[in-house]
Amino acid sequence: MPPLPDPKGVFLNVPYDEEFISLYVAYVVGLCQLGLVPHLAAEIPGGDRRLNRIIQLIQSCSYSIHDLSRVELSVSPSATPRFNMPLELGMTITWQILNPEKHTWFVCESDLYRLLRSASDLNGTDPCIRGGTVEGVLRELRNAFRRDRAPSVPQMLTVYGLVDSALNSILKKNGTSNPYSRSVFLDLCSSSVSLGTFLPSAKPAI
Amino acid sequence: MNSQYDEGVDMPKSVHITAPWPTQEEMEKSLGISKARKRALRPLVDELKARLSILEETPVNSIEPEKRRKRASAA
Repeated sequence: MPPLPDPKGVFLNVPYDEEFISLYVAYVVGLCQLGLVPHLAAEIPGGDRRLNRIIQLIQSCSYSIHDLSRVELSVSPSATPRFNMPLELGMTITWQILNPEKHTWFVCESDLYRLLRSASDLNGTDPCIRGGTVEGVLRELRNAFRRDRAPSVPQMLTVYGLVDSALNSILKKNGTSNPYSRSVFLDLCSSSVSLGTFLPSAKPAI
Repeated sequence: MNSQYDEGVDMPKSVHITAPWPTQEEMEKSLGISKARKRALRPLVDELKARLSILEETPVNSIEPEKRRKRASAA
């Protein structure tokens, strides 16, 4: 029996590619700014089969975001479609149908018509259309996760700009060029949380 | 053919989170951020905080458009 999901946990199902980096940082910063805890498949330690680790991560989160904007053919001569994101969305939908009270999922796309063509089974529902911009990601996150006293999109953009400007330093500190690695992901989260001036301070110990 | 296939899968447009805002410490605990990681990142975070406070002290509307663009690109 999986443990109860973290009510702040959000499984982030995004492509791990270079063109997506600024949007990935926007998702991480935006979720932290909304008091939510992003989780990536890359952060789970190895040892078990990757698919098992991903389903455990989905089960441990109350929410998930599936960005399908990179469901496209690879540029290699074999032109293979990229199915990881839809595969993980399918696993999530199954989990949610079996446990409707434990999970809520959202689909994000750059363009509504792409989704109508690539996953017509999702017709009749409302995807988050972020328009391929950082501002669009922050706006859609803020719309999807409504809460009182949420920071405004310009406030979130300011923090995004600062964290994004620190990415090279964070990569250097961790000795990697991979922004999706576990250590860089955690540093991006830590920076975003530290700049979340809206977060209440912990009560001082008595 | 079942109706779920015909009508598509229901997906919420949004959720209203009513739980109290977590503290920074609660967020860090949920993320599994160690004290050592936080300590190592402190110089960078302090620099970002200083830049944030400068940005927050300057009302956006008081900045001329040209300077505003430069500020946005610097951030």
